[in-house]
Amino acid sequence: MSRAVILGRPVSGQFDSDPSPWRKALVVAALPVALFVAVAVQLTVVNRLPLPGGIAPDLVLLLVAAVAVCTGPMTGLLTGFAGGLALDVAPPATHYAGEYALVFCLVGYFAARLAAASAATTGERNPWVELGVVAAAVAAGEAGKAGLGLLLSDPDVTGPAIRHVLPGAVAWDLLLTPFAYLLVSWAAGLARPAAERPPRPEFVGAQRIAAVFRAASAGAAPNLRLAGTGAKFQTDRPARRVPRLRLADARSKSLARTVPAASGTAPPALAGGRTARLNFGRSASALRSSGAGVTSLGRTPKLNFSGKSPAITPHRTEHGPGKGWIHTRDRSGITPPRSQRGPGKGWIRAGRSAASGGSVGRAAGSGGITVAGRRPPKAGWLRTDAHRPPPVANRARPGKGWLRKSKRPRANWYSSGPSTRWVRRSRSKDRWRSRRRSLSGAVLSGVRDLLPSGDRR
Amino acid sequence: MLDARRTRPVLIALLVVAVALVTIDFRDGGTSGAHSIGGRLFGPVEHLGGDVTGWFRGGGSSAEVARLQQQNDALQLELGQAKITAQQAAELRSLHTLAGQEHYAIVAATVIAAGGDYSDTVTISAGSSDGITANETVLNGDGLVGTVVATSPTTATVQLATDANATVGIRMAGDGQIGALSGTANDFSGTAPLKLTLFNANAALKPGQELVTFGSVGGRPYVPGIPIGTISTVTTQPGSLTPTALVKPFADFTGLGVLGVVVSK
Repeated sequence: MSRAVILGRPVSGQFDSDPSPWRKALVVAALPVALFVAVAVQLTVVNRLPLPGGIAPDLVLLLVAAVAVCTGPMTGLLTGFAGGLALDVAPPATHYAGEYALVFCLVGYFAARLAAASAATTGERNPWVELGVVAAAVAAGEAGKAGLGLLLSDPDVTGPAIRHVLPGAVAWDLLLTPFAYLLVSWAAGLARPAAERPPRPEFVGAQRIAAVFRAASAGAAPNLRLAGTGAKFQTDRPARRVPRLRLADARSKSLARTVPAASGTAPPALAGGRTARLNFGRSASALRSSGAGVTSLGRTPKLNFSGKSPAITPHRTEHGPGKGWIHTRDRSGITPPRSQRGPGKGWIRAGRSAASGGSVGRAAGSGGITVAGRRPPKAGWLRTDAHRPPPVANRARPGKGWLRKSKRPRANWYSSGPSTRWVRRSRSKDRWRSRRRSLSGAVLSGVRDLLPSGDRR
Repeated sequence: MLDARRTRPVLIALLVVAVALVTIDFRDGGTSGAHSIGGRLFGPVEHLGGDVTGWFRGGGSSAEVARLQQQNDALQLELGQAKITAQQAAELRSLHTLAGQEHYAIVAATVIAAGGDYSDTVTISAGSSDGITANETVLNGDGLVGTVVATSPTTATVQLATDANATVGIRMAGDGQIGALSGTANDFSGTAPLKLTLFNANAALKPGQELVTFGSVGGRPYVPGIPIGTISTVTTQPGSLTPTALVKPFADFTGLGVLGVVVSK
């Protein structure tokens, strides 16, 4: 990736193969025509519309701001100057010639600089940022028109007149900003090389998730895909939906549904529900590993529930889309040795039992006891686990970290090893540095432009 | 940025050009050559746009012509009546040397474009090639509209009476008191965008009184006797030297269609 690509703006001639030359020329030629049409429509139609208060939007200003953001500073300032001058000298205008040319020229230049700085900071063109820049530029342009008129003591532009006109004019312009931006960005996209069109897989903003999936599906990290994302592809279920399948809800519902119907006993409501939560996981794994006889011995007391309604559990595991978390974990291959390690809560304390290195049978037995004797922790930890199983490499660490999802860097859960994270963090550091430089630099250099060249640097 | 090195000189050059244009126009009082160039350049386009919008508004060019002709006649009649009105005319003749011998003709034109948010100006479809020059009175069937401030070969720019730049000398229809009527532009968004100031401190103003133009020497920028509007609100402040009022114009400034320009023969 060359620097130009990272900046989101091609070096001229770098990608000149994609749009045919005549289409490019057509788009370039359309700009003056569009400007001319905008001026004519503004004067003959928009200004004559019987809008409340006699306030009308400024199509030329909208066009200038949108063109500037979608192209670049040079085009922006030339468009602004031409459009403003046209509004200055076209017949009904009585303000001084050059006023709007001055304002629109500055608006076009700074809007383009701001958009370019944003693109350079994040590495890609974000439509929302660009839309915001267009809106800000349009508002600034309206204010600039009023301010310059006030400065030149135009009798039409007085304090009361500005107070009356400016809010309405800005509101009209902001209302039309999305349409102008969409139109212009579409037209500009016709002439833009195809290599520049798709968003780049930089890990910023809303693109982060998409970039993760894209990287995974591109085969950049096949094993990671198996661990983290592949399972979600297989179950064809978005990651957000997995937590809904956590045991706490599904259990209590199924319990309420099945137990009273089968046995008619009241007690399972609270205590039974709680223990059953852990038991269920075990019974499910037991059923899956088809070692039901052996494993059920260890947790006989808890298996009352499943024992009462034996027909239900296999049925549930079979079709259960609600139990997606079980299948997900199973297929994802995070804990392949679980069946030998023990039926218990291997999925809960997988890291710990693996680290303890105890024998398989003992681990299974102690696991059963621990769970039975201990109060189950809060509901949240289950959800966290089901939602995002700990990475393979991190599971060796018994620490609290993997339970907590907010403290983790977001790109971490699918990748293993600290090296990737380290690289990414350093890149983000670079990004921040460049943002600081480029944003302030855009403003400062713009101000420097206005100074005589002797004062510069 | 990548092209910053090339962009900045261009930006500076264009800013200098813009400031120079403003300066020249400021010196010339808003009538520099740039405006005439713009008139020549954009006049035909605005004619086209005016035709299109006129087609939508008037429902066809032939109907527009017919309506225009009728309007023209009505305007001439009204102007004649206004000039002949009894003692008004006599007083005017005595006040000015207008006498009756000066004859006026009306050039009819349609509004084809309008100014921006701050200025109350319109462009009409007749220009210097039709005999229109600057500082000529513009009216329609309802009353005074404004005055011509600039012309191009095919268009003319009319400054409406509601523009903040406009000041019209007036005479009260009943008692003949004289005063000045100035536009308030966008200070008031209501239906009374004209502010009246009488010169006689003892004169009494009442809502409903009518105003006509006082007239200027040579009929420029306003010919005498054209109805303007009625007083809607008397706003005289206690202790002020002059009576003031807000005036509701006869003409509908938001829906101007066919206008007549009073040209001297």
